[in-house]
Amino acid sequence: MNRRATLATLFGKKSTEKSTESTVATTTASPPLVLSGLDPYTDTWEYEQAAHLLRRAMFGPTHNQIKSSIQDGMEATVATLLNDLPMPSPPLNYSNEDDLFVPIGETWIEAPYSAGVNLRGARNASLKSWTMGHLLNEGVSLREKMVLFWHNHFATASTIVNDPKLVYRLHTLFRANAWGNFRELTKQVTIDPMMLRYLNGNQNRVQAPNENYARELLELFTIGKGPQVDDGDYTNYTEDDVIQMARVLTGWRDRGFVTTNPDVEVGSFFVSNRHDTGEKQLSHRFDEVVISNMGDGEYAHLIDIIFEKEEVAKFICRKIYRWFIYYKITDQAETDVIQPLAQILIDNDYEIKSVLEVFFKSQHFYDMLNIGPMIKNPVDFTVSLIKQLEMPLPPGDNLNQQYRVWFIINRVNAAMLMEIFNPPSVAGWPAYYQEPGYSRLWINSTTLPLRNEMTNRLTNQGLTANGFTVRINPLELIAQFDDPFDPNILIQELVVLLFPQPITQNQIAFLKEILIPGLPDFEWTVEYGDYVNDPTNEDLAMGVENKLRNLLTAMLTMPEYYLS
Amino acid sequence: MKRRQFLKTTSLAASVPVFINGMAVSAMANSNIFSAINGDSDRVLVLIQLNGGNDGLNMVVPLDQYDNLANLRSNLIIPESNLLEVEDTMSFHPNMTGLKSVYDNGQLTVVQSVGYPSQNRSHFRSTDIWTNGVASDDFTTTGWLGRNFDVDTPSFPVGFPNEDCPDPFAIAVGSQISQTCQGLNGNYSMAINDPTDLNPLASGNGDTVPSTPYGDELAFLRLAIEQANAYGDVITAAAAVGTNMVDYPEDNALAQKLKNVALMISGGLQTKVYVVSLGGFDTHADQVVDGETTTGEHAVLMATLSSAIQAFQADLDAQELDKRVVGMTFSEFGRRIRSNGSLGTDHGDAAPLLLFGSCVNAGVIGDNPVIGTEDEVDVSQGVDMQFNFRNIYGSILMDWFEVEESTVQNVLFPEFEYLPVLNPCLPDNTSEAIRKETITVVAAPNPFSNETTLSFTCQHEHIQLRILNSLGQEVEVLIDKTLSAGSHSITFDGKKLAAGSYYYQLKLENGQQKSGLLTRLR
Repeated sequence: MNRRATLATLFGKKSTEKSTESTVATTTASPPLVLSGLDPYTDTWEYEQAAHLLRRAMFGPTHNQIKSSIQDGMEATVATLLNDLPMPSPPLNYSNEDDLFVPIGETWIEAPYSAGVNLRGARNASLKSWTMGHLLNEGVSLREKMVLFWHNHFATASTIVNDPKLVYRLHTLFRANAWGNFRELTKQVTIDPMMLRYLNGNQNRVQAPNENYARELLELFTIGKGPQVDDGDYTNYTEDDVIQMARVLTGWRDRGFVTTNPDVEVGSFFVSNRHDTGEKQLSHRFDEVVISNMGDGEYAHLIDIIFEKEEVAKFICRKIYRWFIYYKITDQAETDVIQPLAQILIDNDYEIKSVLEVFFKSQHFYDMLNIGPMIKNPVDFTVSLIKQLEMPLPPGDNLNQQYRVWFIINRVNAAMLMEIFNPPSVAGWPAYYQEPGYSRLWINSTTLPLRNEMTNRLTNQGLTANGFTVRINPLELIAQFDDPFDPNILIQELVVLLFPQPITQNQIAFLKEILIPGLPDFEWTVEYGDYVNDPTNEDLAMGVENKLRNLLTAMLTMPEYYLS
Repeated sequence: MKRRQFLKTTSLAASVPVFINGMAVSAMANSNIFSAINGDSDRVLVLIQLNGGNDGLNMVVPLDQYDNLANLRSNLIIPESNLLEVEDTMSFHPNMTGLKSVYDNGQLTVVQSVGYPSQNRSHFRSTDIWTNGVASDDFTTTGWLGRNFDVDTPSFPVGFPNEDCPDPFAIAVGSQISQTCQGLNGNYSMAINDPTDLNPLASGNGDTVPSTPYGDELAFLRLAIEQANAYGDVITAAAAVGTNMVDYPEDNALAQKLKNVALMISGGLQTKVYVVSLGGFDTHADQVVDGETTTGEHAVLMATLSSAIQAFQADLDAQELDKRVVGMTFSEFGRRIRSNGSLGTDHGDAAPLLLFGSCVNAGVIGDNPVIGTEDEVDVSQGVDMQFNFRNIYGSILMDWFEVEESTVQNVLFPEFEYLPVLNPCLPDNTSEAIRKETITVVAAPNPFSNETTLSFTCQHEHIQLRILNSLGQEVEVLIDKTLSAGSHSITFDGKKLAAGSYYYQLKLENGQQKSGLLTRLR
């Protein structure tokens, strides 16, 4: 492939008579589209679009995954992202020899606890590590990003309900329903043991109603709180609805929390004599519906009633928008994107997949204005860093090493304010709801140095746990590029892989100065060529490898890299 | 005899090992005497990295080898009449008028033929070897200064900056941190392009952002990065109070970088190391203009380097900061002896290294490289190494930063051999500045076999003149009384002493001291 054709592929430009240099220069000038709606996107399907879709829908697409998507086209890529996958095998005991019930190498998800022995710490660690393993090993699939979406949406905290078996169960529910039916998922979450304990649903009984879950069900999980228009009236529901719905939800209890009884399974059950059998009168916001006693089916009936309201569809579509596009929802986006998406969701009986399929193929999704403005959350930042730069991960035959490597990656994310299983509140992470900062809240004088430290470490000395070092291998990375011999093309290939939008000529010149300081271009070609011709020569390899590490260190600390 | 000539004489009399003959290497270490004289000071090392491989033979021309050189690089050679003669057998490139004047002021050292065994001719690998301070078969990934910093602050970067250490350890002027300062857990250098605008170039600062959501977020991030810079306040403050007292050439990128270095030193920043770089030395072609060998790419580089260092040194002198700052150039390799057919030179081996400042042992260290005849020099031959660059690094660490020799051996290599590239040196103060021209001490001969005569001029005042050994211990008191104003000479009889390095120390009534190296030959 000649150089010009290569660049044309990279930048979605037709091969022209222009020189290489001017081709590079013109890439900054892609004309912004007018703000668009949900009509199918039919324009060019090139590196920028494919990379955008994959970055947003998964974590850290690799060079080859993006190239394949360009080949396959948008339709096929979206179909791949939404392919149903088998459920993963469960988390294992990787090192705890004190777990009387679970030998090393076996799973603990149905094992009891043991009085006087702390098994939760090790099992929590196992679960966190295992989850990180899924994030790191997922291929071209939307699933893990949706699991995290639902975790942020139906937020619970393992520090408050400290039983990893319950956490595992809830997250398995998210994984199984990643793009499933929102209404059905809501029903299942409502009586999930983790959620019952987290929002005190297990204490909600006719004798002493607890409104906690009912309030969050409305405010955070389904319909959302509108403007307060009257005393106790939040447009979408009233204070009295919270009280009435709490009565509907009475009677549910959980079973198996930190149990030492091997015969007790984790689950939930309905206790009739704790249930309020009286009539529940909802407000005019719910058309003054009266709910009569339906026993253990009453909660599902209530959720059906809530989901009758169009606002529920709009509410979840706004959350999807903020998760996949950008936190600012303009009036135009509300009208041309959110509302039609909500209608699609309603028309499809709240099947989330129906919305995502349209959304990921829409003009709006690929609008120039939507490419790049998302500040990556810490999990996306770290996982993408490791995945897109194709860092080797520990092999599966060393369980302890594998889990410990995953564990330290989690710890870094936690320091950067995103600890999986422990969002700061039931509202999830503030980056997805807190006005006006939203995703800017990830960035401060503490987290920025941590991001730098993480990228520096993974680019240079590596992150080591249990004898395995996660570290970029830059020579392997660029070996798959179209023309790693030409320093200009090499830098451009890294730019399009790592950054959502083109960078300036000044920045490119700066990066070249790092790769080949004070040297003419051909010296890179010569030295890299010498290495390729004699790849076992350590002198040659180290020379080019260190230059690439310098280049990547600089690129990964650029603010452009924080954006997706 | 001018002081700067004695080292040259030494090296002509015998080659390198003369400095260590007769004495254990550890006894050569003079960090004790330096610290006894200067105490704790705020010394700064400025590294000037010449990227691409500098053609040393076109920078420092060996006049006694000129004919052979002219034969081997007939298309490049600069007419002898155009060269700037600095010593009988050594000339500078005609564009190095600035450095010649620095040399003539006794503020420049030329160390001949610096390199390392088993020269690697890859830019990248050889740069790593130089910046990491390692042997050519050593793939250590920390830098030589970084390893040295790690000795005292192994936890870096955790806990830095702090109250005791508020300033960056090192500053790389430009947008890239310096590999020389790579420590085990972090890089000690901070990249600063402009001390009044701390956003690194890579952040695209100065480039406008598009008025799109992407542009909004990018602008937010750039600002956040600038604000999160832990050293931002101290640098901004230093830049605000610092000054430059000379004009630096405007169209000279290196001079502009050194101007910022002087500004930060002047502003009181306690940073120990500054690294600046100048690229373009990879002169495979068009190193000179055909038929006009005093012009061309290398000539431009020589002018750039020369006028930049001259301005920088003048600024330091004017601000009386000159005794706090030592500078050193380095390049990944020299170039071959023979020129190529493209009016250029290809990757070679050793090359001269320059040290500058008021505290360098000014003059020439080492011999002119020997250039063979047409028949003797093969096409790929470079200049043979006389000095291992790591011995220069280590000597700077010992003399300038008072690092123990055992530490230098750990940081660099166990075979480290001390070289007296620096000179004991007092920080300036006002009274010294007034008198500094009047208290030169001349020792002749030096090196000496049995006797040497020390000459100086003083006012009517009490004078103490002592001889110290390399550990700073007194060997003999030559004078300890009030002298009349005028010139005085005294002969020191060193017959009883072992061969090696000694120092004279002249102390004036006002407490001011002047010290210098004496070398007794075997």
